[in-house]
Amino acid sequence: MADPANDFIRDYQALAQQSWDAWTRQFQQPPAANPFAPAPAPAAGNDTLERTLAGLKGYFDWMQAAAGGGATQPAPDWRQQLQQMFGGASQPFTQAFGGIDSAGAEGFARQWQSWLQAARHSGFADLAGAPGATPAFGLNREQQMQQQTLSTALVASMQAITRYQELIQRANMQGMQRLQHKLAEPGRQIDSLKALYDLWVDASEEAYAEIALSDEFRDVYGEMVNTQMRARQLQQQQTEQICQQLGVPTRSEVSSLGERLQALRREFRASQAGGPADHADEIMALRRELAALKRQLAGTQAAALEPKGAVAKKTPKVTRKPVATSKSSASPRKRK
Amino acid sequence: MQTPVHIDPTRALGDITTFQRKLAAGMASLRNMREPEYANTPRELVYSEDKLKVWHFTGHGKATSKTPLLIVYALVNTVWMTDLQADRSMVRNLLEQGEDVYLIDWGYPDGADRWLTLDDYINGYLDRCVDAVRRRHDLDAINLLGICQGGAFSLCYTALHADKVKNLITMVTPVDFHTPDNMLSHWCRGMDVDLFVDTMGNIPAGLMNYVYLTLKPLRLNQQKYIGMVDILDNPAELENFLRMERWIFDSPDQAGEAFRQFIKDFYQDNKLVKGTLEIGGRSVDLGMITQPVLNIFAEQDHLVPPDASRALGKHVGTTDYTQLAFKGGHIGIYVSGRAQREVPPAIHQWLRQRG
Repeated sequence: MADPANDFIRDYQALAQQSWDAWTRQFQQPPAANPFAPAPAPAAGNDTLERTLAGLKGYFDWMQAAAGGGATQPAPDWRQQLQQMFGGASQPFTQAFGGIDSAGAEGFARQWQSWLQAARHSGFADLAGAPGATPAFGLNREQQMQQQTLSTALVASMQAITRYQELIQRANMQGMQRLQHKLAEPGRQIDSLKALYDLWVDASEEAYAEIALSDEFRDVYGEMVNTQMRARQLQQQQTEQICQQLGVPTRSEVSSLGERLQALRREFRASQAGGPADHADEIMALRRELAALKRQLAGTQAAALEPKGAVAKKTPKVTRKPVATSKSSASPRKRK
Repeated sequence: MQTPVHIDPTRALGDITTFQRKLAAGMASLRNMREPEYANTPRELVYSEDKLKVWHFTGHGKATSKTPLLIVYALVNTVWMTDLQADRSMVRNLLEQGEDVYLIDWGYPDGADRWLTLDDYINGYLDRCVDAVRRRHDLDAINLLGICQGGAFSLCYTALHADKVKNLITMVTPVDFHTPDNMLSHWCRGMDVDLFVDTMGNIPAGLMNYVYLTLKPLRLNQQKYIGMVDILDNPAELENFLRMERWIFDSPDQAGEAFRQFIKDFYQDNKLVKGTLEIGGRSVDLGMITQPVLNIFAEQDHLVPPDASRALGKHVGTTDYTQLAFKGGHIGIYVSGRAQREVPPAIHQWLRQRG
């Protein structure tokens, strides 16, 4: 038997999906085809845009699912109802949290794939399937050892990313628990999908912040960054070897030149700083000192030429006055 | 127990319809939207070196302040947060108060700047900018306003070149990098920064932005854009939103060596408050700062926790120390309506009292 209400929702959802797709296409339109242009490289901003759109779409899907079932139907166990809304297959928040934990990993994996392809084209052997310190020998011994080292580093990096993702997932779960606690607070009533969503965001951010400030997170985060950098550095070393074989200037060489240039600039600045302006000050100070010495010398010579009696006459009589002690003179000066 | 969630199906459907309608309207709005401009308060170039520029803002009237104010911004993000849009411009408001405002625009570092150190930035670029402004006004000392990382630079600079700074203002400036709520600092401490910089060279702006977003991932990656849907049919608000997006994501890369030093010495080792920091071989002692200091921080700052800024009062040498807590966040302190009303007048008043 037909159910007009459900049919309407289904029709509406189909229509909404169509307009959503149109909106997404609007922002993903490729530029007009230019037969002379090279194949476009993926734009850096596209990842962000895709994540943003995925986030919006996730929210949109969740609203539809919640309106079609969970949130608007009375349920005997509201906690279970919440779990279904936020933890089920249609939950929108995989995108939000997924965006956090997978963006770095995806970028790294993509970069790794590109590098691997380039390495193959350049005559490097395929990586061994399983990493490990298998002794290598023969003409290509060094390359094989390097490949093994890189392979090990990549596995370590992927493992670190997995540990990071586990912590993000834990934040997601604890956010759910916090949401239940918040909803169980006396007097709490939620009457709109947006209000429910906002409360979930509050709860999840609190859970995330607590985990993100833990020592465990710090260690896992550091390990994720460090292992990835180690793998990238090994990639760079191998790329440099390829460049050297092809006679292409390497990153290290350019960087070295930059370092030397900057050092020279510093030396030049320093020599300028000790240049005319500073010398003028120094010359002025020396002139003052010379003038003082001349005065002192002239005074000494004059004293030596005069008869002793005259000197004795000119010598003032030193008298000491009793020093009056007053409050004002005795108290220390106040610091302004 | 009764369910605390009571969502009327009709209302829920209405919410979805509204969301959908606004998305549809948004297509048209966004299609017709141009790249939003910053405030572009009239300014003249008074000094430049490499990629750096010093701008002098020209107000409608003559400045009443006798001592110019040089704004030292952070290396991360662009300086235009201080002059974002006509009705949200700290620079413009300072001019209206009568201040004579200069601003250092650090520019966008590239591979040629990979080896710039903190010494190059602080004892080099910043010192020459200060000298350029001093020369223009024939003054021994000028006023400095350091913002965020630029505030940390200004503190170092003032400690090392005390005779060139008359009054020092710091805004949302981290001083103690090891307060328990400092998420960035917490994450940095597990990183091998040498390996990081040796591998990356300059640090890409996109990576920096990504890290900032992960401080509050749900709010900044999703909730913010759901909020945007509400304003898609309001061109004026949408333009403001997009301008802010432009500012957030149009950011410079970080010069590798300076980044390495800043993370190691400030974030990891907290040397500024320990008194063990050295810039260009010279010891940086906050106790040497004896000129008047105004320290402004934001109470809801998620990048620079308030306690990280408050710490300045314990370490600075001056007896004329003023602290101002602003009710807002790291960005709101420049662009919120409250900030326009409160911050520039407070800065001007404080400076005027000190001549």
